[in-house]
Amino acid sequence: MTTQTTGIIKKILVLVSVISLVPGLVSCGQKNDKNAEFIPRLSSDTTCRIKVAGSYSNFESLESEFERFYEYYPNITLNYVYLDDYDNTIDSALMSDEAPDIYVTASWMLDDDKMAPVLENAEVLSDPALDIDLDCIRKGARWTLENGDVIMLPIFTRSYGMLVNMDIFEKNGLKVPGNYSQLIEVCDKLKAAGYDTPIMGANGTTVAGMYYSFAFPYFCDNVLSDPDSVEALNSMDSSAGGMMRPALEKIQTFVDSGYLDPAICSEEIEDDYNAVIMRFFEGDVPMMLGSGDMVSGTQKRESKSEAFLAKPFRYKFYVVPLGDDGGYFLDSVNLFFSVNKNSSNLDMTNEFIRFLTREKELGNMAVIKRLITPANDFSLDEVYSSLEGFPEEKAFSYKETGLSDSVNKEFRAAAYKVANGDMTVDEAVNAYGSLWDE
Amino acid sequence: MKKTVIIIIDLVIMMLILFFIIQYTNAKMRESNENVTAAFEKMTVTAEQIITNYLEDEQHLCDIWANFINRSAEAGSPMTAEEAISFIRKAKISPSIYGHLIFPEESSKSGISTHSSSKDPDDYSVSYRNINLFENLDNISREDGVVSLTRAYTNPQNGVQSIAFMNFVTIRDETTGELKEALLMRVEPVSVLEDKLVFLRGEYDNVEIALINKNGEYLVHGKSLKNSNFFEYYKSYNDAEIADYNKMTDKVTSETGTMTMINSKGEGCVIAYTPLKSMDTWFLLAYIPAVELESTNTVVDWMLLGMVTLGLMLLLVFNYLVLMVYNRKLAEAAVVANQANEAKSHFLSIMSHDIRTPMNAILGLNEMVLRNSQDEEIVAYSESIRTAGKTLQGLINDILDFSKIEAGKMDIINVDYSFVSMLNDLVNMVQGKAEDKGLVFNLDVDKNIPSILNGDEIRIKQVITNILSNAVKYTKEGSITFKVGFEKENYEFISLSISISDTGVGIKPEDMNRLFQAFERIEENKNRNIEGTGLGMSIAQSFLRMMGSHIEVESEYGKGSTFSFKLKQGVKDWNPIGEYEESFKRSISERMKYHESFTAPEARLLVVDDTPVNLSVFQSLLERTMIQIDTAISGDEGIALYKKRHYDVVFLDHMMPDKDGIETLKEMKMITDTTNTGTPIVCLTANAISGMREMYIGAGFDDYMTKPIDPERLEAMILSYLPKEKVASSLDDDEDDDTSIPKFIWDIEAINVNEGIIHCGSHKAYMTTLKTYLDSAAKNVEEIEKYWGERDIKNTTVKVHALKSTSRVIGANELGDLAAHLENAGGSGDAGTLERELITLLTQYKELVRKLEPLRDIKGDAVEDNRPVISEKDMKAAYNDLTEACSSFDYDSVVSIVESLKEYRFPEGEEVRFEALKNAVDNFDYDLIPEILTCEEG
Repeated sequence: MTTQTTGIIKKILVLVSVISLVPGLVSCGQKNDKNAEFIPRLSSDTTCRIKVAGSYSNFESLESEFERFYEYYPNITLNYVYLDDYDNTIDSALMSDEAPDIYVTASWMLDDDKMAPVLENAEVLSDPALDIDLDCIRKGARWTLENGDVIMLPIFTRSYGMLVNMDIFEKNGLKVPGNYSQLIEVCDKLKAAGYDTPIMGANGTTVAGMYYSFAFPYFCDNVLSDPDSVEALNSMDSSAGGMMRPALEKIQTFVDSGYLDPAICSEEIEDDYNAVIMRFFEGDVPMMLGSGDMVSGTQKRESKSEAFLAKPFRYKFYVVPLGDDGGYFLDSVNLFFSVNKNSSNLDMTNEFIRFLTREKELGNMAVIKRLITPANDFSLDEVYSSLEGFPEEKAFSYKETGLSDSVNKEFRAAAYKVANGDMTVDEAVNAYGSLWDE
Repeated sequence: MKKTVIIIIDLVIMMLILFFIIQYTNAKMRESNENVTAAFEKMTVTAEQIITNYLEDEQHLCDIWANFINRSAEAGSPMTAEEAISFIRKAKISPSIYGHLIFPEESSKSGISTHSSSKDPDDYSVSYRNINLFENLDNISREDGVVSLTRAYTNPQNGVQSIAFMNFVTIRDETTGELKEALLMRVEPVSVLEDKLVFLRGEYDNVEIALINKNGEYLVHGKSLKNSNFFEYYKSYNDAEIADYNKMTDKVTSETGTMTMINSKGEGCVIAYTPLKSMDTWFLLAYIPAVELESTNTVVDWMLLGMVTLGLMLLLVFNYLVLMVYNRKLAEAAVVANQANEAKSHFLSIMSHDIRTPMNAILGLNEMVLRNSQDEEIVAYSESIRTAGKTLQGLINDILDFSKIEAGKMDIINVDYSFVSMLNDLVNMVQGKAEDKGLVFNLDVDKNIPSILNGDEIRIKQVITNILSNAVKYTKEGSITFKVGFEKENYEFISLSISISDTGVGIKPEDMNRLFQAFERIEENKNRNIEGTGLGMSIAQSFLRMMGSHIEVESEYGKGSTFSFKLKQGVKDWNPIGEYEESFKRSISERMKYHESFTAPEARLLVVDDTPVNLSVFQSLLERTMIQIDTAISGDEGIALYKKRHYDVVFLDHMMPDKDGIETLKEMKMITDTTNTGTPIVCLTANAISGMREMYIGAGFDDYMTKPIDPERLEAMILSYLPKEKVASSLDDDEDDDTSIPKFIWDIEAINVNEGIIHCGSHKAYMTTLKTYLDSAAKNVEEIEKYWGERDIKNTTVKVHALKSTSRVIGANELGDLAAHLENAGGSGDAGTLERELITLLTQYKELVRKLEPLRDIKGDAVEDNRPVISEKDMKAAYNDLTEACSSFDYDSVVSIVESLKEYRFPEGEEVRFEALKNAVDNFDYDLIPEILTCEEG
């Protein structure tokens, strides 16, 4: 039964067309005024407890929203609960007497049969009666079921790219590169200026690893421009490996040119999160590849880096301009909230979600977490200011590619192997479908 | 006191009261806060005990299970896992409590549960593989009663946040049959513990209880404590130095206490902490907003404080209103008082006029009586009138000065003055008086005092006179020291230091304050024989105040007093006055010149006054000057005379019916066809208050003269206006004596006595001349008749010429003129005229001689003096009496003594002194008497 349900969900999930999103974006802009001031719909003296369950051990940005919500409903108690072994316990939790009212969901859950019960519990947030302003969510961050229902509200998104040490660029009179040739030029100049490896990152196969951030969005763009390749790629057909070639060649070029040095990265950067950030804060890396999670982690680590405290510098997030006309913004939702439709305080829970689904609140949470807001306004956090006004045609979500998670893994494995000299580009291309080692 | 000052004082007092209340309240608040904090901490400790008890109880239940299972093992019949779980399943009461039996040594960290999985009712297995719970198995106690508690975690079976109490049990492996150790967990939802914590709130509404481990991670926490870790939460919202932060974490995880911090909303809050007893792993935190803790602090009755403040404000407003009403009444009273004062001033001004006018008549007419009366008794009475009049005049002057000061109409008029001259006047005035009383008068004048100063000489003199007079009045024996010094202030000013010390009665300290009060007389009973209004010192002090100074008094009762003051004076001539004695002498001579009388028979004055007596007085006062005086009884009459004749000076009374002095003056000034265009016109007025001078000058008068008229001032003024050619030399004052020219001579119409005196130079000479005239008369008549009988025209003419001269000398002008006419006739050989008129001449001559016959009865050089010579003893006794009378200002006695002395002739050398005495008495110059008496003989 569980398997059946997930299958249906899978089927009804479609990509929402860009055309249908355009009026949505417009209306989002029109609703800015509405966002300015939240108008409570329930009695302000309502008393109840609302529990939010999630996998973050700490959720300060959400707690700050609790406080803001208390301004309207002072007698409500909102609680965030960290569930151990979330993916395995959330379904039980939802069935228990102490079931959470709001719980964290993720895009992969849609593909996971095991998670079907979890999603079945989700309230349809697009129900007009709830008056939740879903239009304020950015196109690339929206996840809508085929029937048009929205059961998952994106809270944070992440992208893949690089942290740029602005002070180094300014000091050397360089501009942050806007396309591939500029990137090459900048790398040359930086090398000339004494930065032996202008680009660094975690030498690994994770999504936080440097190759994913460096070339995966570029690969996705290739796939989007050749939609027919998707099926072959998803079915692990080795003939589809050629789709990876342009991206892999660019990785090869960068390694060969010494712009990227996997060995040094392995030596100096132990993991794809903390170590990446701390290495960047040393202040001598012009560009540090990583995911949005890396950016998020910078906030609390500035004060932990003695080098940064001693010599602070300005830094910003940019997508890697691997295309001839610039980079690609791979929009990826980091975390969704779903409402437990069986919540004993469903009205107030929906009210909280209604409160949260506003540019101001989403932006506010994103700033605290230093992740990318799912709304359109990037202005709240200077680190992400480069995304402001990013060309829409070069921004897409992973789901838009139609690629499965396996393709993702194959690419990561190929990229790692090519960069580390385990395989040539040709070998990797030919080995498509069997590159990923568990 | 000004209204604003009172309000400010009120406010200050109010502030002080409020300040005290606030300080007191703050102290009480602090004390109470400490108590409140202590109470909160106590509540925390109580909560800790309850929680500890609860945890220990739960652990105990877990231990019971474990013990039962372990006892089985120890007894040789160890349970299998299934058996153990089914035992627990039976033993446990609450369905929400799970029993987990886990094999932590296994990698799967799995085991079995009392409950089936919520996902699969047949699945009793449980796995902790993905739950990080058993990192430190060694920390789990195997002892009974020691609480071994997990952190809050998610029960993998039901997804419920739970805690678990643990103990080790020994069970038998079902397959191998071997004994192995398993972890028995009594799993309870956190909500059970949370529900218990709710009841620990006690009296506090918003208290939140939290349990944290050593790292600050919560076991349970309320909605205000954010983050998953209390210490991280603290760091996020409180700027603390690392050292302070570490100190805080140490304290929270080791002892019982209280701390304050800022919460996520930026509000202050209080956290009480205490470790859970018998567990060094869990710590209780009680969170409360600082506001709530403060609100439980009821020691400060804010209502009371507010009411006190409000009350004080109301009191202030009330006071202000009362003050306002009171001030308004005071202002009204002040207006009334001012009106009354103005009325008084007006009254005094009227009085001034009304008293001075009759006084003028009294003193003037009395002067005439004195001059003309031969009756000694009348003269004596008249002298008394003069004395009393002068005294009364002094008193009126004092009262007028006082009224002027009171009315603010007293002006300080600075003029250049000779300091020596002023000093002379003062010394003259007082030296005699002092010496008359047998007092030593010491003078100590700085010889370097500049000679010409600028200041109000009159007022300064008045002040010093007052002090000096008082010193003399109140000193019976000893000395009076008049000391004058100075200090140079700058190039334009000096500071004069005047000090007058006496060895008199002194002033009691308690009387000091009354000294300068108007109408106050010190020790009035004792000093009642000393005249005075009690205004002298008050006036003196007022004058000095107006001149920016004040009198300072040092006095010892019974021993004497020193009055002193300093006065800033302008300097016009820095030449020092030099040794004062020389200056004094010089000034005496100057004064003699100044007082020198004059005659001006050629001069003519016009006096206009509606009071005939005043006109008569005026004429009498100037009789000796021989000035021709025309009088008019009204303005119109005066104007008619003014048009007709030339006058050297015109005197106009101010207050006249129909046409007053000012109107008359204006009319006179409009007359162009007259020889009087340049004639000075002087106002006669009884208005003596200040400002009058300016008023009269402003009205067009050239000068003004107050009534009663001071003969000396009048003469001085006239002298200043008369053309020099009309002023003749004066009669010899020193020897002149009206009384020495008998009345019958004055009565002889044919003689102008005054002219005769002028021609002769003195009364004495005149009398001698008259005597000679008389003595030679018979012989002259005889010779003229003889020569004319012989028709000896030449010798007749010579004789007639002599008669002309002698007659003119004695003032027989008509006779002299006739003689001159006949002399001319004789000189031209006109026998006919001589024939016709000589007989007339001789008849008139004989008639005059006949009238002069009484002169033969008068003996002596000029007139025979039959009076007895006064003995030296009597004379000295009389002088002493005079001195005494003067010192006690008993001028009546002075006059009577001088009168009685007239019965005697004085020895040679003393005659002059007596003449001076008589003159002084006649001129009311009583002040001069002591001086005259002490002057060296001759």
